[in-house]
Amino acid sequence: MLSALLIAMLTAITVWWLLIQRLKDKPWMKQGVLPTRQETVTSSAPKVGLWVFLAVVSSLFGLFASAYMMRVAGHGGLAIWQPLDEPNILWLNTLVLVLASGSMQVARNRIDADDFRGGRSYFLAAGLLTVVFIAGQMLAWQQARSSGNLGPGSPAYAFFVLLTAVHGLHLFGGLFVLTRTTARIFRVDANNVVARSRIRTSVQLCTTYWHWLLLIWLGVFALLLST
Amino acid sequence: MAYVAIADRDHHLHDPTTWIEKYVWSQDHKVIAIQYGSVAIGVGLVALVLSLLMRLQIGFPDTFSFITPYNYYQFVTMHGMIMVIYLLTALFLGGFGNYLIPLMCGARDMVFPYMNMLSFWVYLVSVIVLLASFFVPGGPTGGGWTLYPPQTVLEGTPGHDYGILLMLLSLAIFIVAFTMGGLNYVTTVLQARCRGMTLMRMPLSVWGIFVATILGLLAFPALLVAAIMMILDRTIGTSFFMPALLSLGELNGTSGGSPILFQHLFWFFGHPEVYIVALPAFGIVSDLLSTHARKNIFGYRMMVWAIVAIGALSFIVWAHHMYVSGMNPYFGFFFATTTLIIAIPTAIKVYNWVLTLWRGDIQLNIPNLFAIGFIFTFVHGGLTGLFLGNVTVDLPLSDTYFVIGHFHMVMGVSPVMVLFGAIYHWFPKITGKMPNELLGRFHFWMTFLGTYAIYLPMHYIGILGMPRRYYAYGSTDFIPSSAHEINQAITIAAIVVATAQVIFLINVFYSLRKGKQAPDNPWGATTLEWQTPQTPPVHGNWGPKLPVVYRWAYDYSVPGEPKDFIPQNEPPKGHHSLASS
Repeated sequence: MLSALLIAMLTAITVWWLLIQRLKDKPWMKQGVLPTRQETVTSSAPKVGLWVFLAVVSSLFGLFASAYMMRVAGHGGLAIWQPLDEPNILWLNTLVLVLASGSMQVARNRIDADDFRGGRSYFLAAGLLTVVFIAGQMLAWQQARSSGNLGPGSPAYAFFVLLTAVHGLHLFGGLFVLTRTTARIFRVDANNVVARSRIRTSVQLCTTYWHWLLLIWLGVFALLLST
Repeated sequence: MAYVAIADRDHHLHDPTTWIEKYVWSQDHKVIAIQYGSVAIGVGLVALVLSLLMRLQIGFPDTFSFITPYNYYQFVTMHGMIMVIYLLTALFLGGFGNYLIPLMCGARDMVFPYMNMLSFWVYLVSVIVLLASFFVPGGPTGGGWTLYPPQTVLEGTPGHDYGILLMLLSLAIFIVAFTMGGLNYVTTVLQARCRGMTLMRMPLSVWGIFVATILGLLAFPALLVAAIMMILDRTIGTSFFMPALLSLGELNGTSGGSPILFQHLFWFFGHPEVYIVALPAFGIVSDLLSTHARKNIFGYRMMVWAIVAIGALSFIVWAHHMYVSGMNPYFGFFFATTTLIIAIPTAIKVYNWVLTLWRGDIQLNIPNLFAIGFIFTFVHGGLTGLFLGNVTVDLPLSDTYFVIGHFHMVMGVSPVMVLFGAIYHWFPKITGKMPNELLGRFHFWMTFLGTYAIYLPMHYIGILGMPRRYYAYGSTDFIPSSAHEINQAITIAAIVVATAQVIFLINVFYSLRKGKQAPDNPWGATTLEWQTPQTPPVHGNWGPKLPVVYRWAYDYSVPGEPKDFIPQNEPPKGHHSLASS
């Protein structure tokens, strides 16, 4: 519950900060054309949209984490928490995801510099590494179930699968966009400026999304290890 | 470099050509808004019928044999869930949000039109899944709209096998739809405002919907978390919420779960949810009052601050729904304090609405009647909320009809007053026709007086101690026969008010076909949606050039001006419009 409170307060502060600059205006006094932010800052609706979506995703994981921490604390129940021994493959999976993020960042840097040929194999590699990660997570479930210290009915196991599954589902959803973008990168005409610009934006968005999901995974992993 | 609006940069405006593209798979925000509105009102009528069935049972027990205790709790649950989420949230945000945001911000459409279209169809799927629960074995869930475990997933509660699963699935699908829509509303407000439209020149309708959307995007995940965990508890036997339970002398296999955890998650969503319904209503009613009193909204900046403050504070009051759950009394103290604090910006808004009307040139047309009716009913509901917000006073009132009276007044009556006011107000713009005056006024007075007749007596029987969510009361000493008579009167009032809503529907359909042709700006409003070249606005909204905004949204009765209103896109004296250059 404390973390839910924290999220709420952080959110409140963020919203407040974003708006505070504007709420000092006296709109009834000023007439005429005022510069709006769009004139002074190059903005991109898809980027703003993605950040809003990432706020939603973070809220979701924050709440799952709160529920988990409440359960660990034995809130409202008499059961004593029995921690799960996390399968070691999770460390390998984490490395794979870091590599995926890294590969995607390299791809982004190259595609930003208009080097589509150089960037596309890194982009594809990021996708493949993500598939390996998801497969690794499923292997981890199997390992925890068969050779773990707790039975599948235990809450620690249930939360382990739940948290990793929700994270994996988000990555899986991202793979749809990544696949489409990869296809476009490989097919794009060198002279089609508009299409290349669109692909660039798509790659930037994918990279942001992947980095954010890596951060979330690190948070989830740390939470699981510490309880 | 010449300024090019975001909405003008993308030349691939999804111009529809076929009938299907224009009215079914439409990416136009106006069509999507009407689609949302129609489905929301349609499913709301289902919920209205359910409420009548409930009232028939409570008013006249032992009379209607087709209403069993099993059915009754299903009606209670489905009525509540449909009204709060599938009607109010969908209509305010999906309906009015979609229609008004691009128009009031001077944009051609939402920034993600394809996702906007998807959000409606996913919403429709969620409604179909919800209504499908009427047709599965066991019927819909009867656990109350709050769906508390463990009862809701245990034998003894209606719909514990399939109904609850469909309910939870439907909510999850709705949350996906809402997220898609919400991304649109937030990003459009932040990115696609036309030139000159600063945040502080936006009408309060947009502010209300904008902040409500942010609340929804952050609060609905809590419901999703709760729903996923409850689905797992129900299907694969996990114990997220299920404590160790004995059923007929045997352990049922679950252990260690916490029902209180569900309550925390549910109300962390549930309280912001009521503000998701209320804030758009606050914003819209400000515009209605201002336009129809020919006076600028009193204290525009404070109104914006209050909307933002209410939104932020709404995340730290949730456990005032849990005073009787057995939690630590110090939590109750904390949440009672924050609940009283949130009353302050809300009260400021009420004062400002009244002060807007003060010495205004009040036009008593139908939208204004509903707007003033909102003030009455919201104050009533808000005052009873102050009682319930205090822990010790809430202890005897919790789960009584006092609570039902309170939340219907603040959520059922006052926002619905705003909805009706808004529909009558924007009807000329959306349809090009004027609504019928006589039918509209009749509808208003029946609804306004009728809802008082329904909900005012509930406060009395609540204080008496009459509990809610009871199928029948039998004859007990503490409930006198006068309370039963009050219930009969409430039921009759409910039937009358429900019938009056048929008058509203008749008005809508009659005026659509035979209504007087509406002028472009019948109310003399300043906001941008009334300044479109065509009425109703066509695809693309603004013609070849986007509007340019020169002033705030409330230049009504400006001293020294010939007209009693100045549209937002009218340039200051001596300047020609930049939109034509």
